[in-house]
Formats: sequence, C-alpha cells, structure tokens
Amino acid sequence: MNFREILKFTTVADRVLFSILILLSLLGLIFVRSLIPGGNSVEIDVDGNLEYVLPLDEEKTVPVQGPQGTTLVEIRNHRVRVVESPCQNKLCIQQGWVEHGVIACLPNKVLITVGKNGKRSSEPDAVTE
Amino acid sequence: MNTIVTITVVASSERTAEDAIEDAFLTIGDIEKRADFYSPESEITSINKSAGVSDVKVSPDILSLIGKALSVSEKTEGAFDITIGPVTLLYDFHTKQKPEYDALRKTLPLVNYRNVVINKNDSTVYLRKPGMMIDPGGISKGYAADRATDVLKHHGISSGIVAIAGDIRAFGLKPDGRPWKIGIRNSRATGTEDDIMATMELTDAAVSTSGDYERFFISDGIRYHHVLSPMTGRPAGMCRSVTVIAPEGYLADSFSTGIFILGPEKGLRILETSGYGGVIVDNQGKVRITPGLRGKIEFQRNP
Repeated sequence: MNFREILKFTTVADRVLFSILILLSLLGLIFVRSLIPGGNSVEIDVDGNLEYVLPLDEEKTVPVQGPQGTTLVEIRNHRVRVVESPCQNKLCIQQGWVEHGVIACLPNKVLITVGKNGKRSSEPDAVTE
Repeated sequence: MNTIVTITVVASSERTAEDAIEDAFLTIGDIEKRADFYSPESEITSINKSAGVSDVKVSPDILSLIGKALSVSEKTEGAFDITIGPVTLLYDFHTKQKPEYDALRKTLPLVNYRNVVINKNDSTVYLRKPGMMIDPGGISKGYAADRATDVLKHHGISSGIVAIAGDIRAFGLKPDGRPWKIGIRNSRATGTEDDIMATMELTDAAVSTSGDYERFFISDGIRYHHVLSPMTGRPAGMCRSVTVIAPEGYLADSFSTGIFILGPEKGLRILETSGYGGVIVDNQGKVRITPGLRGKIEFQRNP
C-alpha cells in the first residue's frame, strides 16, 4: 500500500487532522528551541588572553587579530566556524562547524571555546567571602 | 574602609551604565564615610563620643542603618549586636593584640543593643551608658549594597550586581537570560584550585559570608578572628564560615555574623524561621545547608 492508496482511504477531516498534527509538532520544535535559555556562549582567546565573549544565538562574523593576521570567525545557527585564517595548514578551517567544543588555530594563537562547558563558564560572577 | 567594590550592570548604552555606576559608587562612599567606626569625623564616632551624655542628630541613612541593626539583634537573640564597639577596640589583628580577662570583664557590660535609643521623629540616636560604642562593621557593607542597588534601579538599570568585598546584592538576569552565579569562598583554601567551595545561581537576592579567615591571628594555637561574640567578648568558635542568602543586603550581612556567633544548630533554626537560605561550615569542617537550598547549590569540593 503506497502513500497514494492510503490517501484514498482518508476523509477531508482526516487530512485536516493530520495537517494540524504535523503543524503542531513543528511549532513544538520551534517553541522548545526558543524556550531553552541561550546560556551558551563563544569565548575567543588570543595568545592566552580572553578577547571576546559572544552569545552563541546571535549571528555574527568577527575578525580576530592574532600575531600572524586576521582569523575570521563566523557564528551562525548556534554553531561556530573559522572562515579565513592566515595560518599555513588551515586546520582550523577544515574543522568546519562546531556546536560544542574547541577550535584552535595554534599558528595564529587563536582559541575558540564553544558551548557552556567552556572553561570559564563555571566561574562565578561574584564571590562571597 | 579598605574594601574592593565591584559593580556590574546590564544597560542599553554605555553612557547609562557609566552614569548609574558612578552614582552608585558615590552612594557607597558616602555611607562608608558616615558609618566609619575608626574615622574621627564620622557620624558613628559622634554618636559614640556622646554616649551617656546626649543624643546626636544623624542622617537618614545612619538612622535607617541603626534601626535595621537593632531589628536584626532581636531576631538573632542578641548574637548580632552593633554595640560590640568597645570589644572591637580591645583587639588588633595587625599587632596580634588581644584583651586580658579584666579588660574584657569591664567592657562586656557596655555591650547591649537595648541601650541604643532611636528617635525617628527627631532623627537622633542616643547611647544610654558612657563608654558604649556602635561598630556597624557587621551590617554597613550589606546596607550600602542595598542603597547602591536602589540608585542603579533609579537610573533605569534592570539587571546588575553590586559586590562590596564579599557582600553581594544581585538583581535581574544576565544578558544570556540566566541568573547571576555566586561563588562561596572555601574557608580553608590551600591555593587557587580549591578557592571556591560552592556556587549557586540567584537573582533579586543578597549574599554575605562571615568567616574566621578574613582577619585573624593565631596565638598559642588558638585562632583569634574578627567575629566577636557579644556574650563572651571573644571570637565565636562554633563555625568556620556562614553564608546567608536573604532578600536584602543588610539582612544577609548581619545574619551571617549573628549566625556565625550562634553556631550551626541554632543558626539553621533561625534561618529557617526567617525564610533565608544558609550554608554553614562548622568548626569541624562539616557543611550544613538550609533545606530550601538543596539542589540549588553546587559544591565544588569538600571544604
């Protein structure tokens, strides 16, 4: 029984019901995404110093100045990648999109930490003592 | 007061943020100046100098600060008491000076918050006995954090954090939509690795800690620290550190001192009755927390 045959057995009401169900599940996906707090951030270090802390949910392209030149970092759809790099091997570019983890460009001394498990995210905003 | 003050705000523009922060710093500086126990020009000193002689007209901030301090004394069975001043002066944590028994015996009868008379209509404060002294050190930083927060909100700031040394007041949410993350200092840290005992996320609340590790010296194997008991005139010995989470800074600041003095059992009971959160590390290093904090606090390691 293929899809067309199944469709023959359905009434208009069935089709409307199916359409609503499909629509609802799609809406659910969108809602869940927006309800989850955008706690994730992107942290960019140059030569061991923190230079940028950027939200992962904001599309942005950042030119990061390293000792060899500019590493171009792109944030899009909760992912991060290196678009351009002055380094020789371009390993950082080959790594592609990263949702969670680290992209390192050792020659240009650029370190990109993606996701809330980044090394600094556990640091408190203030300390009581 | 030699304290480090940090103010962080979330604002629509840098200009708004800078104006608000500057105003908040001025407010904190003003309160610290008025409430300074050691400065000969402060309002507190003029109250202390007139003890047993006459009442003294004070600013609204000092009147409010002293009124709040007295209410906390009532709630902590007198364990928090700003009239500890004469005892404070018997100790010097730089020169390792501690009082002889005789000096303590003579000084202790001066410590009693019930002998502070406030007249709200005339805005005056009077200390009944000559020699009495108010030392507001256990509440003034928390109070200043409250006032600074008021100033920031008045400037339209909806989210921020004011930290006067370890006395913290946080409000609103961070730009990423999360509450502020507050760390509690490990009372027996051996280095930067075990510096933080626990962290918790909170907003629209204040946090303060009293510890035996801030100002202290060790003499004959005994740790003499700055949290002095109004009952004995000696450093309170039942806790290593007490962290209190309360709706306002003055409450967190003064309750952390009071509960440090009362000890873990009584302290937990008072915190629960008052509806505040608390993390108590007793003198054996055992950690106790109020039931409401369970699941909200994340321990990094055993203190």
